[in-house]
Amino acid sequence: MYVYDPVDQQLVEQRVAQFTDQTQRFLDGQLTEDDFRTLRLQNGLYIQRHAPMLRIAIPYGLLAARQLRTLAHIARTWDRGYGHFSTRQNMQFNWPKLEDVPTILAELAKVQMHSIQTSGNCIRNTTSDHFAGVAPDELVNPLVWCEIIRQWSTLHPEFAFLPRKFKIAVSGAEEDRAAVGVHDIGLQAVERDGVLGFRVWVGGGLGRTPMVGHLINPFVEWQHLLTYLQAALRVYNLHGRRDNKYKARIKILVKELTPEVYAEQVDEQWQLIKGGPDTLTQEYVDTIAQRFTWPDYDESVAGEPDPTEMHAAAHPAFARWLQKNVRDHKVAGYASVTLSLKPTGVPPGDITADQMDAVADLSERYGYGEVRVSHEQNLVLADVRRSQLFSLWEELRALNMATPNIGLLTNIISCPGGDFCALANAVSIPVAEAIQARFEDLDYLFEIGELDLNISGCINACGHHHVGHIGILGVDKNGEEWYQVTLGGRQNGAAKPLPDLQSTRGGGAAIGRIIGPSFAREQVPDVVERLIQTYLRLRDSDAERFIDVVDRVGIAPFKEDVYSDPAVAKAAPAAREVAHV
Amino acid sequence: MSDLNSADDNVARLIRHGQLQVNDGRVFAPAADEATGEDAQVAADEAPALPVDEPGWIVPLALWTTHRDTLRQRQHPVAVLLSPDSKLQDLIGEDGRVDDAGLAFIAIDFPIYTDGRGYSLAQLLRTRHGWQGELRAIGDVMIDTIHYQARVGFDSFLVKPGHDPEKALAAFRTFTVHYQKTYPKPPELLAA
Repeated sequence: MYVYDPVDQQLVEQRVAQFTDQTQRFLDGQLTEDDFRTLRLQNGLYIQRHAPMLRIAIPYGLLAARQLRTLAHIARTWDRGYGHFSTRQNMQFNWPKLEDVPTILAELAKVQMHSIQTSGNCIRNTTSDHFAGVAPDELVNPLVWCEIIRQWSTLHPEFAFLPRKFKIAVSGAEEDRAAVGVHDIGLQAVERDGVLGFRVWVGGGLGRTPMVGHLINPFVEWQHLLTYLQAALRVYNLHGRRDNKYKARIKILVKELTPEVYAEQVDEQWQLIKGGPDTLTQEYVDTIAQRFTWPDYDESVAGEPDPTEMHAAAHPAFARWLQKNVRDHKVAGYASVTLSLKPTGVPPGDITADQMDAVADLSERYGYGEVRVSHEQNLVLADVRRSQLFSLWEELRALNMATPNIGLLTNIISCPGGDFCALANAVSIPVAEAIQARFEDLDYLFEIGELDLNISGCINACGHHHVGHIGILGVDKNGEEWYQVTLGGRQNGAAKPLPDLQSTRGGGAAIGRIIGPSFAREQVPDVVERLIQTYLRLRDSDAERFIDVVDRVGIAPFKEDVYSDPAVAKAAPAAREVAHV
Repeated sequence: MSDLNSADDNVARLIRHGQLQVNDGRVFAPAADEATGEDAQVAADEAPALPVDEPGWIVPLALWTTHRDTLRQRQHPVAVLLSPDSKLQDLIGEDGRVDDAGLAFIAIDFPIYTDGRGYSLAQLLRTRHGWQGELRAIGDVMIDTIHYQARVGFDSFLVKPGHDPEKALAAFRTFTVHYQKTYPKPPELLAA
């Protein structure tokens, strides 16, 4: 856990004071609605369908137990007793009052939290691998680099008013779990001749024009990371489009210039500052690393008796949970556990105040008082002793957080959708719920195997539907909700190996392809069912995953089966039988 | 651009050298920009191509580029106005620097405060093109923006109407700590 120094603390407190003043001036009529809008957005405050929505930053998804307790306290005191984890590893409260927000922010500042740059056209929360620091396949711990980027990007004077929002992700491992290929800038740690550096992907993103990022620089040595980012942002700030908000993301600039020309312009700016005072030193990187409290692992744990296998043999449900929700740890005797926030019937990513308190307690009893938020909207206890897995599982079951569905179809990523969000064209939570209900049988769910199903309620794509193996997008047609289905999207693993570098699995995102006319809400579970049946028929073994089959055979067989399926047609409401394209 | 001159100029709303003063500049708008059709013809016939030689004129970059040799000779130097899409190449010499001879100051217009290009222009002028003279933010300049503007190199600020100039002056102290070490602290903080 990163621990604030006096400068970090002072900065957050001064931001609270500034925002309190801005809110007061707005309430007093000294600041117009227009002038206040961007200022409040830069502090995570949206005006939503029912009430303001406040988004709180959880830098790179890392939370201390006391911070989680503060979030629980806020949920109880100023909201309706629950919160929502977003795909940016942040927390959203949907029901605060505008006039309470300064008080909430002051409360957050006491535990080194804030909502700086969680919205608006600025550099957003840098996201990372939720297994950072504990994954066996890690080259470098990305959290240190995320914190360096967090500080650099926080209240950056030159880049506070960019053409559009800007998202950075950092991966430090062999497998890219940070989706670096679909970020404005994705950084992937690589090693060349024994020197650490970053592969820089630029111009990825979802939204209404989904694109996979381009490799703008295959290797930026670590010392030069911040000057390179500064150059990349400066070119965007000066030349990104500002005449049309739908063409304002950096992906459009990179496309219009071509990646080669964009890279040249960045290089030109970079040469002016490269090696200058913003060059990182080992001393500085070490200082940041030392401000984290790293777990003090007990090496003797590796030798202690581990009853896990015995319990697994006796409890099939525990065995399933072990298989899906528990991962290997870099230190022998430990494991990382994912707490599923995706049980059937609960909006994906939602968590009650009581659950937050309970997880905070568990993190202290079973780990080092730390919790991670994954961009798949689950929680992770990263450092659990293997010998304690069974008792942890029993406690999690009581909290309804032990659904063994990580990596499976019902681990749905979803935005809050039309039930909450003013932008949405359609609801997404009820659709997620209907699909979860259809696939509740665990034998069947395990038979289907690894599958990412993502749902967005509109083309802003907060539910990352483009990178779901199955993606579902809510669209509005003449005031009615319809759902478009895509296949073959993925957040990693699609890239071809680069000749000069190892680490082939990173940066390889792919955008799903639309299978055809959209469906009515009632049809969606049948459509998913049909897609699964087709997959099960076509796969050559149960080792061939859904996404592998789509890659091998294309979308045509799926498409044919879905549109000729009488069950799908039957579920269509009579009034909407006309095909919508 | 005309509304850059429209505010009540009896109010001291220009921050310069850390002090409030009455605005001393006005933007010279070439006639053709202001009028259309028949009026334009009349205006073009009557209006001078250049403002008279008196203090306070701020001329658009295009006018400066065309007449810079003449303008540099004036008794009362003019300032040049950049818009967010101005190309700095039009202002700098072959050596990559801005020649400050006969140039009062550089103003950068923020037509709307959410257009952040002026921040990068200011940084480039300060760090790449050697501009050490006055750099003024005008247009949609708010209590809430001048701290950032000071940090990218602006040292004078024309606070927009409706924003209390005294509060704007105090806003340099909104933050006393910063992460980006190569961007200066607001000068008022350094002096304090």
